[in-house]
Amino acid sequence: MSQKDNVNPQIHQRVTPRVRVPEKTEFDDEVRDPFDAREIFDLIRDINDPEHPLTLEDLRVLNEDDISVDDENNSITVKFTPTIPHCSMATLIGLAIRVRLLRTLPPRFKVLVEIAPGTHQSEGAVNKQLADKERVAAALENNNLLQVVNQCLALKTSTYGSAV
Amino acid sequence: MASNFSGVLQLTDLDDFIAPSQECIKPVPVKKTPRKKGLSKIQVAVDGSYMEVDTTSGKSKKLQKAEITLNDCLACSGCITSAETVLVAMQSDEELYKVLNFNKTAAEADKKIVVVSISPQARASLAAKHKQQSTEAAVALTHFFKSLGVSYVLDTTYARELALIQCAEEFIERFRSETENKNLPLLTSACPGWICYAEKTHGDMLIPHISAVKSPQQITGTLVKELVAKHCEVTPDHVYHVTVMPCYDKKLEASRQDFYNDIYSTRDVDLVLTSGEVETMLKKETRTLTELLLAVDATQSNSARPISELQAAFLDNLELLNHSGGGSGGYLDFVFKRAAKQLFGRNVDKVEYKVARNNRDFRDVTLKDEDGKVLLHFAAAYGFRSIQNLVQKMKRSKCPYHYVEVMACPSGCLNGGGQIKAEDGDREKQKEILEEVERIYDEIPATIPGNNEHAMTQLNSLKENSSKLNHTLHTQYHSIEKDDTLSLNVKW
Amino acid sequence: MTPVLECVATLAGHADRVWDVKWNANGTLLASCGTDKTIRIWAKEGDNWICKSILQDGHQRTVRRIGWSPCGNMLASASFDATICVWDKKSGQFESSATLEGHENEVKSVTWSRSGAYLATCSRDKSVWVWTVDEDDDFECAGVLTAHTQDVKDVAWHPTEDILASASYDNDLKIFKEDDDEWICFATLSGHTSTVWTCAWSKDGSKLVSGSDDKTMRIWQRYDPGNMEGIPTHGEDPTWKSVCTISGFHNRPIYSVSWCHESDMIAAACGDNSISIFREDLSSGDTTQPVYEMVCKQHHAHDQDVNAVHWNPQQTGLLASCSDDTTIKLWKISGE
Repeated sequence: MSQKDNVNPQIHQRVTPRVRVPEKTEFDDEVRDPFDAREIFDLIRDINDPEHPLTLEDLRVLNEDDISVDDENNSITVKFTPTIPHCSMATLIGLAIRVRLLRTLPPRFKVLVEIAPGTHQSEGAVNKQLADKERVAAALENNNLLQVVNQCLALKTSTYGSAV
Repeated sequence: MASNFSGVLQLTDLDDFIAPSQECIKPVPVKKTPRKKGLSKIQVAVDGSYMEVDTTSGKSKKLQKAEITLNDCLACSGCITSAETVLVAMQSDEELYKVLNFNKTAAEADKKIVVVSISPQARASLAAKHKQQSTEAAVALTHFFKSLGVSYVLDTTYARELALIQCAEEFIERFRSETENKNLPLLTSACPGWICYAEKTHGDMLIPHISAVKSPQQITGTLVKELVAKHCEVTPDHVYHVTVMPCYDKKLEASRQDFYNDIYSTRDVDLVLTSGEVETMLKKETRTLTELLLAVDATQSNSARPISELQAAFLDNLELLNHSGGGSGGYLDFVFKRAAKQLFGRNVDKVEYKVARNNRDFRDVTLKDEDGKVLLHFAAAYGFRSIQNLVQKMKRSKCPYHYVEVMACPSGCLNGGGQIKAEDGDREKQKEILEEVERIYDEIPATIPGNNEHAMTQLNSLKENSSKLNHTLHTQYHSIEKDDTLSLNVKW
Repeated sequence: MTPVLECVATLAGHADRVWDVKWNANGTLLASCGTDKTIRIWAKEGDNWICKSILQDGHQRTVRRIGWSPCGNMLASASFDATICVWDKKSGQFESSATLEGHENEVKSVTWSRSGAYLATCSRDKSVWVWTVDEDDDFECAGVLTAHTQDVKDVAWHPTEDILASASYDNDLKIFKEDDDEWICFATLSGHTSTVWTCAWSKDGSKLVSGSDDKTMRIWQRYDPGNMEGIPTHGEDPTWKSVCTISGFHNRPIYSVSWCHESDMIAAACGDNSISIFREDLSSGDTTQPVYEMVCKQHHAHDQDVNAVHWNPQQTGLLASCSDDTTIKLWKISGE
C-alpha cells in the first residue's frame, strides 16, 4: 500500500476488562440472559484496524456508549467513529464489525452498523452500503476482500481476558 | 458527474462509491534516493506544500507531490473515473490557451510551434453547427486557429490515407499467411474506446486480432512531430500538437505510453480537443465560421505551404481528401475492395451490406465465387452491444468474419461523444443533426487510397526503412490484468 | 372474518440463505435459489411438496434470482459470478444450455418478457441489459442501458407490452422501451428516499408497485398522452406518477413485492421477518389518489429476513416465500 490515510493516529486507553462473577442464573438454561451493550462491545473491541497494528478500541473507533441493544426486539446498533473524516477505510472497518457480529451473534439479531453522526464526510454513502445485505453478501464472496476482513478479525495473542 | 467517455468504457469498472481521489488503487511509485545521513522531518509549508527539513543542517527542500497521471490510470485495471478527472484538467482548451499565451511573451528560442490537426468528422460537426459546407469550414477553421497564433492547421484525412493502405496490406498478408492460426478476424484499431475495452476485459483473446496500424490521429502525431520539427529546425518537444476529434476517448489514446517520445519527453499529440470544445472556444472568442470565412483573404488562404512532405495534409487544401465507406473512416470499404481485387481478382465498385436484424449498427458483407462459396466475409460492428455480440461470438469460436471494423459509438464516429450535441438532448433533434453531419461529411468527393501522389511518395520512402515505417505507422497493445493483489481498497 | 395467511408447507433443503422463489406459468413448479449456488425445482406429489431436482454447477457464486420463460421450458438464473445461466428442459431434465456473459459484476435479477422474445438482466455494474435470441439460437445482446447511476437491483417486464421497469440503489425506478432498433430509457420514477429493491406490475400494467429500503412501498400510476387527469406527458410516451405511498406497516426494508393478477392483492416480503398483504380500498372512489389497505400480516413468517414472495399464477391465494433462515414456505390466504 502506498500511504496510510491517517499516518499518526491518536491512541487511547483501553477500558478495563470486565471482571465477571457468574451469577447463579447464568447456568440455568431456563433463564433468558439478554445481551447488553458491554457484551457486544467485548465481541468487537479487539478487531484490528486495517492499517495500524492497533485495535478499534485503541483508536477509539469503537466505544461502548455508541452501542445500543434491544434484545427483546432483536435489534443491535453499533456506531463507529473513523479516526479522520475522510478515512477511506471506513467501509472496510464497518464491514469487519458487521462480519464479526454476523459470525458470533445468534441469527435472530438485526444488526445495524453505522458511522457515528458527523464523523465522516461520506457518512450517508458508507451507511447505505453497510446496510445493503446484498452487497455485504456479495462482498463476502470476494476472496480478496474476505482475506482483508479476516485479517482485521484475526485474534492477536495478547487478547483481553474477556474476549470471546 | 455524467461521464463523457463512450459507454464501453463506463462499464469497465465500478467507480461509484468513494470520490476518485480516495478510491484510486494505483500505488504511486516512489523514487528511491540515497538515504542521507542524519535525521529529517517533514513540515507543512505556508502554501500547503510538504517540506523536508534536515534536522542537522536546517536546510529544507520541497517534497515532490505524489501525483497520479493519466498514464497511471490507463495502465491500471481500476476505475476510469480518476482518468476522467485527470483528463478534464489536462486536456482542455485552457491548456491550448496557456501555450498560446506563453508564446506571446516567451523568448524566441522557447516558443512552441503550435500545430492543430482536425479530423474530418469534427470538421463536419462544426460545419453543421454553423450551417457551412465542409470546404468552407476547413478554410474558416484554419483561419480561426491561425488568428489565435497557431502556425499550421492540418487535416487528419491525409494520415488516414496512409492508414488505409497499411490496413489493406496487413489484412492481405494475414489472409494469405500459411500459418495455422492466422488470427482472423482482423479487428480495426482506430477506435480508442474499443481498444481500451479490449485491453481491459479480453486482452489475451483479442489483442492478437487487433490491427497493428496506428489511428489517423497518431500517424498525424508522428508525422507532425518529425516533419514540422525538422522544417523549423527545432526539437520535437518545441512542437505543440493539438488534434480536434469527434471523440472524448481520443484523449486517452493520445496519452498512451506507446506514443510518448522518451528522448525529447514529448507526446506525438500533446492535446486532444473535441468538436464540442472547439465550439466552446469559438463562443469564447465570439466568432462564427461564417464570419471567419468572410474575413479570410482569398490569396492568403492559399499561401505557401512550406512543408513539402505534408503538402496534401493542409486543411485549406483546395482538394481535400475523403474516403468512401462512411463516417468512421471507411476501413471495411477499402480493405474489402482491395482484398477482393488482390486476392481474387474481383472488382468491387460498391460494398453492399446486409444489416443485422434488430441492429442497424451491425452489418456484414460477403464476396462469393460463382458457386456461392464465401470468399470474404467482413462486418462492421458499432456500439457496445455490437462489440459485445462480436466478442461473445469469438469466445464461442462462432465468428465467421475475416475482418471487422469495430467502433465503440452507435452509428460510428460521426456520432462520437465529442461531437456537438442537440442543446436540450432531444433524441429527434439529435437524429436530425447526425443526418446533417453525415451529409456534410460526404460532400467531399471520395478519393481512392493509393491515388494520392504525395501519400504514395511518402509511403514509398517509409518503406525503404522498415524501422521507420514501423515507428510511423504501427503500434502495439497491452493486455491489462485485473489486479488481484491484496488491497485494502477492494470495492464492493 | 379477518383474512389470515396460513402456512401450508415448509420446504427445507437449501443449505444457506434462500434469495428467490418463482412459480412457473402454469403454477405447477416452484423454483428457488440461494447462497448455496444451487437452484431447486419443487413440485407437489400427493399432499407433499418435494424437491424434484437440484441444478448445480451452473454458477461459481450465489444464485441471486431466477426467472421462468413464459412457455415454462426454460429457466434463467442470475448470479453474483457475473453470469446468467439459461437452463433448458428439452431433454426432459433441466440442463444448462447457455451462459450469458457481459456484465462486469454481480447480476442481481433476470426476467423474461411476456412474449418470451426478450430477457432482461441487471447488475451491480449499474447497467440493465436486454437480450434476444439470434438465428443460431444463441442469446445476443440487444441493448445495454446505463441510465442508472448505481447498482440495479431488479427488473420487471410489463405484462402486455415490451416495456421494462428497473429498480436501483440510486433510489429511482426507470422505464425502458425499444425505439427503432435501440432500447432507451423514457421515464424516471423518483420518490423513494433509499434503495429501491423490487418492483412488480399490476395485471393490466397500468400500475407499478415498488418496495424500498426506505421501508415504504409506492404505487405508480401510468398516464398516457391526453389523459383525463391532465397529467403532463412527453411526446408519445406515457408517464408514471406516484399516487400512493404505503408506509407505517414495516420498520425494515421491503425486499420483494408480488402483485397477484387474479385477486389484485400485493404481497410484500420484509426484512422484519414478516409478510404482509395489501389491496386497493375501492370504496374511496378517487382513482387519482387510491388508498391501499393492509389485508393481513404474518408477523413471524420466517425466523429471519424474508427475501422474496411470489403468488402462484394459477392457484389464486397461494403464495411462496423464502428467507435467510434457509426455508421456503407456502401460504394460503384464507378467511376471505
